[in-house]
Amino acid sequence: MGVILEVKNLTKKFAGLTAVNDMSFEIQRGEFVGLIGPNGAGKTTIFNVISGLEKPNSGSIRFDGRDITGMKPHKIVNLGLVRTFQLVRSFKFMTLLDNINVSCLSPRGKEIAKEYGIDEYSSTILGSVGLIDKARLPPVILPHGDLRKLQIGKALGTNPQLLLLDEPFSGLSHEEAVDITELIESLHSDGVTVFVTGHVLRELMGLVPRVIAMHQGKFIADGPPKEVANNKIVLEAYLGRGGTFA
Amino acid sequence: MTQKLIEDLLSFLVSAVIQGSIYSLLALGFSLVYGVGGILNQAHGAFYVIATYIMYVFINGLAGVGFTLGLIFSLGITTIIGGLIYLVLIKPLKESHVSVVIVTFAFAFFIEYLVGILVDRIPHKIEDYFIYFGASERFFTVFGVDIQYQEILIFIVATLLVILITLFIKKSKLGKSIRAVAQDSEAAELMGINVDKILAYTLMISAFLAAIAAIINGPLGTVTPYAGWPILINSFAIVVLGGLGSLPGSVLGAYILAFASRFTQSFINPIFGALIPIVVIVIMLIIRPRGIFGKKEID
Amino acid sequence: MKKRKDLKTVLNDFKSYLRFWIKTFRGQVTVLCLIGLAILPFITTNTYIIGIFNTFMIYTIFAASWDFLAGYVGQVSFGHAIFLGVSAYVTAFTVKFFLFPWWFALILGAFFAVLFGLIVGVPSLRLKGPYLALGTLSMSLILYELFKMSSLGLLWEATFPGTELFGTTGIGQIIIFTDIPQIFYIVIFIIMCVVVVFLTHFVKSNTGTILKAIRDDETGAKASGINTTKYKVIAFMISGFIAGIAGGLFTFRHTGVNPGIFQPLYSFYAIIMAALGGIATISGSALGAFIFVFLGEILRLLGDNPNITGTIGGFVEPIFVFSIILIIIIRFAEHGLLKPALERLKSLWDLILGR
Repeated sequence: MGVILEVKNLTKKFAGLTAVNDMSFEIQRGEFVGLIGPNGAGKTTIFNVISGLEKPNSGSIRFDGRDITGMKPHKIVNLGLVRTFQLVRSFKFMTLLDNINVSCLSPRGKEIAKEYGIDEYSSTILGSVGLIDKARLPPVILPHGDLRKLQIGKALGTNPQLLLLDEPFSGLSHEEAVDITELIESLHSDGVTVFVTGHVLRELMGLVPRVIAMHQGKFIADGPPKEVANNKIVLEAYLGRGGTFA
Repeated sequence: MTQKLIEDLLSFLVSAVIQGSIYSLLALGFSLVYGVGGILNQAHGAFYVIATYIMYVFINGLAGVGFTLGLIFSLGITTIIGGLIYLVLIKPLKESHVSVVIVTFAFAFFIEYLVGILVDRIPHKIEDYFIYFGASERFFTVFGVDIQYQEILIFIVATLLVILITLFIKKSKLGKSIRAVAQDSEAAELMGINVDKILAYTLMISAFLAAIAAIINGPLGTVTPYAGWPILINSFAIVVLGGLGSLPGSVLGAYILAFASRFTQSFINPIFGALIPIVVIVIMLIIRPRGIFGKKEID
Repeated sequence: MKKRKDLKTVLNDFKSYLRFWIKTFRGQVTVLCLIGLAILPFITTNTYIIGIFNTFMIYTIFAASWDFLAGYVGQVSFGHAIFLGVSAYVTAFTVKFFLFPWWFALILGAFFAVLFGLIVGVPSLRLKGPYLALGTLSMSLILYELFKMSSLGLLWEATFPGTELFGTTGIGQIIIFTDIPQIFYIVIFIIMCVVVVFLTHFVKSNTGTILKAIRDDETGAKASGINTTKYKVIAFMISGFIAGIAGGLFTFRHTGVNPGIFQPLYSFYAIIMAALGGIATISGSALGAFIFVFLGEILRLLGDNPNITGTIGGFVEPIFVFSIILIIIIRFAEHGLLKPALERLKSLWDLILGR
């Protein structure tokens, strides 16, 4: 097995605000981990720093044995670490197929995709996320749930070892959330390490065997969901801020 | 030998300070518009051209009252055009940065050719203001170097205005709103600030400063339609050097660029002097794109 | 999943694509225009007309190069004159003083154009934000000042006697590689077709998909593992090379070059033409260049007309008119005139055929 992601003393400040404050944790290869915290806790910022979109002020990140602190985002992706965005992004003026194609054309994605033909490989991915019948359509007309599936599909195109999913459930209807849950579970059982954030613990409770909790940039708990849900500090953080809970 | 050196040095110092003064006004306005609205206004040089030509037409056309009228119309019309550019060209296209940049670029050409049509394309000189008001000489001599009264005027007015604008931005209500929009336009809107109005005012301030620069530099510079371009380039170089959106950076950058330009021109080679802006741009973009005082990460 | 397509299938795909394209209205209009263009120098010997069409074709190449970069990669350059000018000068210089063959001078010119472009392009493209526009504009302006300098001109002639490079007169009396105007015309015509076909298909390739992704969402492209800087630089080089080819042809067309070619004006030309035809339609550049050249010529003739004089007459100045047109287009018709024009033509055509 082994440690696939090691975050040590990570700190990120923005003009006086400390968004991530001395966070440390480890994720093993093949794990399925959740990251929870109320809105503004710093979850997206941590993802931004890990994926290279932001540089940390101090601390280090090791992925698959390599120090990736401060590395450029595209290089990190090509090592096998991919993230999706809370605010869904897509290439608006291209077909869904082309959207996936882009990931398949990354150096890492191409290694696999070119064996089958880029278009064919992308089609398979679209099939696995349930969007194959919309392959020739542009993202602008898709419902929110489909766009989230598209994002996951785009991530898959890069052949990831570790998938960081930023709030994949936000804004989804119940059926859409169920779809996405099944998709993420099947990815995990295929061997991808999944690290997923959410601010509603209930969403993650039944999904992940382990949860890391953070509040105002700081680490507050790490363990099975039931334990974390009963942790005093976690309770304070959520109830004190009026956030939803289990 | 040393006499000549002192004279050359003094002459260099004077011209560098004067160029720095003029450019600090221009860079200040350019940087303000970028810092507040994220707009790299390609028509910035056009403001200077408009003000120059209005001044020229009045001063060289009318004796006596021409100066005052020229001053009023030059400042007034240029400032109004600054606001109009925002309302007519920039605001409707705000979702597309590309469009804004193209449309202001087109406007710069529109002005360049408009003044050429309304007046002519021949280079002209604006009459020295002191001579205009009856002075017998336009300069005085110090340590063997001729310093023009106009140059003293430039330095005083420019410095005054830099101080005024800085105080204005720091202390006045409008200035506070401007800073709020510069920091975070969405938050400012939520606080009840009319972001559109602020952006319009910012452009008007920028145009106003450019007009001042044009007026005080008038007699020293040349009246040509083409003058807008070197101004745009130098404003850009200064703002890249000093830090996009940083006001002290613009002033510092203006003087650094002026000194570097003049030094290279006087003591090394005029050919290299012309290259200074692009060298500054390329080097800064490579080693520190955010500029000396810039804060945002942009790479 | 099957293995990727082999060459035979690709060729067959292309052939059936052509067969399909010929049947479309757009395809037929294009073919008709191309035929018309191709036979022009054979049905008239009027050097003025042939000259205008030569300029039109050269400008099509220039506009297409800019349109590719701006419309498909999302990078706006205000200094495409750099490529035009550097290449024009290198071509002129090597042809006049080293008697290089024209095609070699052309390629060499385009190569040096790209080199100069990269000086400011690489630092700008690494960064987010609108640096490329002003960076390239600055470079072109500096080159304009540099090449205008008479002091530099004299220095050059002293160092390399018998040659000219700097100075307001530029390099003159270039001899075109052929005396026969038809050959010159057809060479330009072929180069234009090659460029347009290449760009049109390049943007549909895998690399084109990546470039379009960068245009649509650069951060998203990075998050998909794409080294966006590398691809932006590649696109910049392709655009610059093609613009350089236009520059070399420009030298031959005008039998010389002077520093004026580095003026912001020429960069502006590229933008006007691309915008007229529709940014992000390569073939639109041809329409844009056509309108620009011919409307510009009409305006110029009007301006020279002794009946239109004084200040009112001055308003007919082509650049003045085009700056207004460009502002109007960007404000009201961001996607250019090609598509609406084709649609109008098609409805007219349907009407005539009684459909």
